[in-house]
Amino acid sequence: MKRLAKKDLLDVLKGWTKTCTVMCPTIKPQGDALFDTFDAATFTLDYGKPPNPPKSFFLPHSEVIFEVIDGRYEERTKVDKTLLFGIRACDMTGLAQARSFMNRDKTDPYYQARLDATLTVVMACAGPQNATCFCTTTRSGPCASGGFDLQFYDLGESFLVEIGSERGAELAAVPVFVKADEAQASGQVAEFWHKAVDAIPAVTDIHDAIARLAEGADCSPVWERFGAKCIVCGGCAFVCPTCTCFNVYDQARDKDSGVRIKAWDACLYGGFTREASSHNPRPTQAARLQRRHEHKLLYYNATDIQAALCGCVGCGRCSDYCPVHIGTLEVARAIVQKQDNSTGGDHDRE
Amino acid sequence: MTNSIGEFDDADLFLITGSNTTTQHPLIGTRILNAKERGAKLIVIDPRTIQLAEYADVHLRQNVGTDVAVLNGLMNVIIAEGLYDSQFVETRTEGFDALKDVVSRYTPKVVKALAGVPTRDLEKAARMYAQADKAMIAYAMGITQHITGTDNVKTIANLAMLTGHLGRPATGVNPLRGQNNVQGACDMGGLPNVFSGYQSVANAEVRAKFEQAWGVTLSDTPGMTITEMMSAALKGDLKAMYVMGENPMLSDADSNHVEHALAKLEFLVVQDIFLSETACLADVVLPAASFAEKTGTYTNTERRVQMAYKAIDPPGAARPDWEIICAVSRLAGYNMNYGTPHDIMQEINALTPSYAGITHERLAKCHGLQWPCLNAEHPGTAILHRDRFTKGLGTFLPCDFKPLAEVPNEEYDFILTTGRIYYQYHTGTMTRRTSILEREAPRALVQINPEDARRLDIEHNDLVELASRRGSITLNAEVTDMVPRKVLFSTFHFHEAPINVLTNPALDPVSKIPEYKGCAVKIRRLA
Repeated sequence: MKRLAKKDLLDVLKGWTKTCTVMCPTIKPQGDALFDTFDAATFTLDYGKPPNPPKSFFLPHSEVIFEVIDGRYEERTKVDKTLLFGIRACDMTGLAQARSFMNRDKTDPYYQARLDATLTVVMACAGPQNATCFCTTTRSGPCASGGFDLQFYDLGESFLVEIGSERGAELAAVPVFVKADEAQASGQVAEFWHKAVDAIPAVTDIHDAIARLAEGADCSPVWERFGAKCIVCGGCAFVCPTCTCFNVYDQARDKDSGVRIKAWDACLYGGFTREASSHNPRPTQAARLQRRHEHKLLYYNATDIQAALCGCVGCGRCSDYCPVHIGTLEVARAIVQKQDNSTGGDHDRE
Repeated sequence: MTNSIGEFDDADLFLITGSNTTTQHPLIGTRILNAKERGAKLIVIDPRTIQLAEYADVHLRQNVGTDVAVLNGLMNVIIAEGLYDSQFVETRTEGFDALKDVVSRYTPKVVKALAGVPTRDLEKAARMYAQADKAMIAYAMGITQHITGTDNVKTIANLAMLTGHLGRPATGVNPLRGQNNVQGACDMGGLPNVFSGYQSVANAEVRAKFEQAWGVTLSDTPGMTITEMMSAALKGDLKAMYVMGENPMLSDADSNHVEHALAKLEFLVVQDIFLSETACLADVVLPAASFAEKTGTYTNTERRVQMAYKAIDPPGAARPDWEIICAVSRLAGYNMNYGTPHDIMQEINALTPSYAGITHERLAKCHGLQWPCLNAEHPGTAILHRDRFTKGLGTFLPCDFKPLAEVPNEEYDFILTTGRIYYQYHTGTMTRRTSILEREAPRALVQINPEDARRLDIEHNDLVELASRRGSITLNAEVTDMVPRKVLFSTFHFHEAPINVLTNPALDPVSKIPEYKGCAVKIRRLA
């Protein structure tokens, strides 16, 4: 453990910019706090839960993998050495899960290149960032249990800094990081953790929903009801730290030139599972929503979830951003209540 | 909209007509589904079994183009059974006797004969709507895109006034706008007869105000609507056209006529973010910036003006529309010199009473302001016509039923009605360039009822030819009972099967909107 005075943080970040691009929470002109390139004037520690998880640093929203110019192939993936400062514990767990999934049976070279080039600095949460946080339920927060290079605990005037890797140790190998007394530090971390856990209430619906799904309860009314309302925007998948599905497609300029693009995709889209014959094994929005939520709560791979509870890391973003309120929290609640007050009319027709 | 989107959460009843709400306004559609879950009632008037129809307490599946007859029928029942709001009628309206006189002819029996709507359902819908405490009507292009579009809207207003479902929370007449800023474009005078804020060009006082602000002399004669422009171009009366963010080659009725008209022009300028089918015909194409590449405001369907800030730079030579217009104007000899969108908003505030209090400074601090917003302290207006109508008393404007301009005959024996699907937007200039959306809906389909399909030996996905008196197209069939017998439905999204080759350019006499929602066609299976 090391200790860093808060007043020295800006200098530390500035120092890190010499060797890599530092991405950190910044205040935008309209008051939003988003991850962007470090700038001392806009850097902020008052950023709550960033609207997006850090997955786009590893799996860009869209990227040109290669370009064909007059029949000649040129690789286009460009990777910069990057440091992510201030990611949340839930997102760190999400990243660890995604990392396991993406490289489980085969290495994705584009994803791996970015993993290799990216340093992660977690900012542990002292409490919930908003009402939808449930990382204590999914065992993915409020502090990260591993996978990071450094983890910061905000103690007011100073940070306790936990070193998670050799790369992290190098980052903290500057004099402003002073060695902490281990006994005192671990006491402070334990106190920080206990306070935070107490402040983030457990969501029993999540456990109960997992149990119901596991026992094969008929939840079809829940899926039908949400399926009718889902607007198929895919936003829940895009803000999810553990969703990593992508599509690969070509954009031809002419017969000898064009680009191959890799872009985010989502299992909520009909075209995601539609086969060439036009048969779709997930033919309805209800079936697609069921698949998505069962994937998070039921069918996850035990290796990939990295000792967390399931394939959901409790960041609550799907509940924050779904325009029609179909997030994991709402779905879990509905499964538990087994709401089957379907909205069907009485079809009163002659 | 007379009322606001949030009020959908409080209404007891919805009457939805000519709007496939869950598909075209999905967030409003979901509010309606949520309302159903808490016990609200739903009446759907639509020839197609749209998603909302499956949730409806009553679905009146009228014959295409018989909206006035059905709405008059509702009022007939409401008056006959004494269910109208006599206090509202007495204190807030005028012309009730004339209304009563007209709708008395539309008994449930007559409406059944004209519109094919069962009498029991009509009566049930009439009672439900009249007796609801807070009832909202929402409609869209299914009401307006007829030669009787204006009559349809007047009749909807009559129904709301008759029952007092106006001027209170969670009531009203609520047209759902089809584009993020079509309300704003109209508000800013993108119409031939008014300046911004619906100030008439015929009003000398208004004209003098704008003449002083702009230092020019302005005409007191309304200009032409887009449909009139095309006819004028064909006749040679109109020599040049400057099209911005519009793709009439796919969106206007009778495309062959449009193509001839545009070809006849001496000069065509198109300003757009992509090279649309219309832009391909242009003498000059001016590349415009997209929404993310410029700063300004949009005015949505509930009259809410919202700020949007530039997020990224425009590509290549593209520029925001206002900058292009200023530059063209300067070259043409008028020194139009706004420095920023802020300057333009200040002029809007000064010249447009309903926008007087909607400043960029205020918009930066809130989620928008709803006009009328008369001064810097005015909170904006969520509900119109609260205590009085803008004109004082609300006048009932009763209309009689008129049939479609082109009814089916022996040869053209189907009615084609056109619209939109969830995944594509209008002429597809944007959505068809979006791979995920294209994957969802890559090709044009025409919906045909299973019984008709069986009779014509058409199977799902078969290639069919659709023909009207104006032209023909080929596309694939979607066999579905969403459409009633003898009705076909398709969309105007696909340049490969441009549906507006077929549609009838007959116009509503007032709004000059073509009858996109009904023309006579024939259909046959291709080999």
